Amino acid sequence: MAFFEVKELTMYYRTLRGQVKAVDGVSFAIEKGKALGIAGESGCGKSSMATTLLRLLPNNGQIMGGQVLMDGQSLLDMPEEQFRRRIRWKRISMIFQGAMNALNPVHRVGHQIMEAILTHEDVSPTEARRRAEDLLNMVGINPKRFDDFPHEFSGGMKQRVVIAMALACNPDLVIADEPTTALDVIVQAQVLKAIDDLRQRLGLSMIMITHDLSVIAQMCDDVAIMYAGRIVEHGSAVDVYSQPLHPYTAGLVRAFPNIAAGRSTIRSIPGSPPNLIDPPTGCRFHPRCPLADGRCRAEEPAFQVVAGRHAVACHKADVLAGGVDIWQQRQLA
Amino acid sequence: MGITALQNGVKVLGFRAYLFRRAVSALLVLFVIISFNFAVFRLMPGDPSSLIIDPRFTPEAIALLRQQFGLDDPPFVQYVKYIKNLVTFDLGQSFTSRRPVIDELKERLPNTITLFLTSFTFTALLGIAVGVFAAARRGSFAETLVTGAGLFTYAVPTFFFQLLLLLLFGYYVPIFPIHGTISAPPPEGTWAQLLDRLHHLVLPAGSNVIIGFGSWALYTRNAMLEALSQDYIITARAKGLSERAVLYHHALRSVLPPIVTLVFLSLPGLVTGAVITETIFSWHGVGRYLVDAVLQQDYPAAQGAFYLIAIAVIVSNFLADLVYGLVDPRIRVAGENA
Repeated sequence: MAFFEVKELTMYYRTLRGQVKAVDGVSFAIEKGKALGIAGESGCGKSSMATTLLRLLPNNGQIMGGQVLMDGQSLLDMPEEQFRRRIRWKRISMIFQGAMNALNPVHRVGHQIMEAILTHEDVSPTEARRRAEDLLNMVGINPKRFDDFPHEFSGGMKQRVVIAMALACNPDLVIADEPTTALDVIVQAQVLKAIDDLRQRLGLSMIMITHDLSVIAQMCDDVAIMYAGRIVEHGSAVDVYSQPLHPYTAGLVRAFPNIAAGRSTIRSIPGSPPNLIDPPTGCRFHPRCPLADGRCRAEEPAFQVVAGRHAVACHKADVLAGGVDIWQQRQLA
Repeated sequence: MGITALQNGVKVLGFRAYLFRRAVSALLVLFVIISFNFAVFRLMPGDPSSLIIDPRFTPEAIALLRQQFGLDDPPFVQYVKYIKNLVTFDLGQSFTSRRPVIDELKERLPNTITLFLTSFTFTALLGIAVGVFAAARRGSFAETLVTGAGLFTYAVPTFFFQLLLLLLFGYYVPIFPIHGTISAPPPEGTWAQLLDRLHHLVLPAGSNVIIGFGSWALYTRNAMLEALSQDYIITARAKGLSERAVLYHHALRSVLPPIVTLVFLSLPGLVTGAVITETIFSWHGVGRYLVDAVLQQDYPAAQGAFYLIAIAVIVSNFLADLVYGLVDPRIRVAGENA
């Protein structure tokens, strides 16, 4: 049994115009010490899924069904107070977009780390402070800056503080939600390297949520591609990137330039993600898919394992498995 | 310590330099106000001497009096004298009581300050507490109730509400005195006197609190809701902090700078509000003194009271700047490290 399992997780937001089906029957599993990347366009439900896992939903977010299991223990049924004390940050922590507003501007950065330790562990403030200083040191920030405020840090340094904070209580699973968005490329590389080193050293499991496929290629063992609230393809990063079986994945992979390949034009996927209040019938990707036919419009494709761990939800998976460049054909047509 | 530091592309002043600048600008504003007052009183139609000089006096007597009062001096000399008098708090003599204005103000100031500080403290505390309560229970019936009550009392005219209270609790159910600062004659003993003063204070201060807390509550509620939607609140919740810690340590703490600033910025408004309250409850304070002085055309008294109010406004603005610097680390710490 996997260490962390999500089964058929469904979460809708209630709005005045109807239910927004942000997370709709999502399943995946993570082994201990492994990293899973979740990729997709903005608004595909990947961040909503992260907040669902930590049960930090806004008032209008409602978990409609499914299960989240950690070491076999169901996390969604746990009473709120128990979940807060035993799971949040203690076992599952989160790396937020630190460059933005994840740190409270009126508290000293060191105190924000200490606070997490003092909430979950019965240690003296002196001990908590010492540990927080160690954590800062570990992410490459001079512990002398313990008493500084967030506005005195650069974006990259704030992101490092956020990483240190996520590790404060020695969690088993870290969810990184777009940890490098809004950082410049150099800093982005440094931050990713810091996360990767720490993860390997501490044997952490990780969920990396991003819209940047190259980040996942660099950091993760497995990848799940999300589209319109569902996972459409899942497998080892190598398999999915080298042999995408879903037209959407194939399009995403094509949309990234390959530094090793010759000059080629980057092509985007035409159209935009659907409205999740009233998603398309059948396969949710069909309005943008060059292969869509009557069956795709009517019948929702099942999620099936193709080979090993590689699974896909597409009626036309065999066309892609045959190595046809569907997006190329479309361009020519 | 340097004067400025460049941080995150924003130029921030060192705290001491910041205070110094604020102090200088406060003094400058005071100077402009008193100069303006000087000009206004001299531009007004009529000769100030006509108020104290009987027209039946001989021209020689008038000339002598004008000379004694310095009215024949060139404007510049008059201005210098005027400034000198204000700076030394020599505010002249009241036309009506023939006593030095400063003595009369000194006598009334403690009463005004008592009323003022009591109203102010309880208004701010009640308002902020209600605001936090409303934000924490967003969408509940309790929230609707307290914000509704806040809006209602805020909209009620002060004088009307105060007269109503007087009628209710001073006349129909006479549990509070209907006028004054202390009973006449005052009761024997320090404690009895203190209690008597408190007894007189309840209605005026209480009415101010009820009328004033609404705007605080609404402002605090809005600021709290804004803060509660920030990313760092999600971080705080994700860290497993209790809802209490999230609410007070993260949300309230981060909206404190603007709230405290607003508290101090509201001080001048309360000073002027004192005029109405003191008049209605016959409170022996500066506000009623000002009203009486204006009604009796007692210019030195009115000018003295205006001067005092101008100082109160400027001092409270300066305090607001000072406190803002203290509670907002983005102003404070930048200076320490600069």
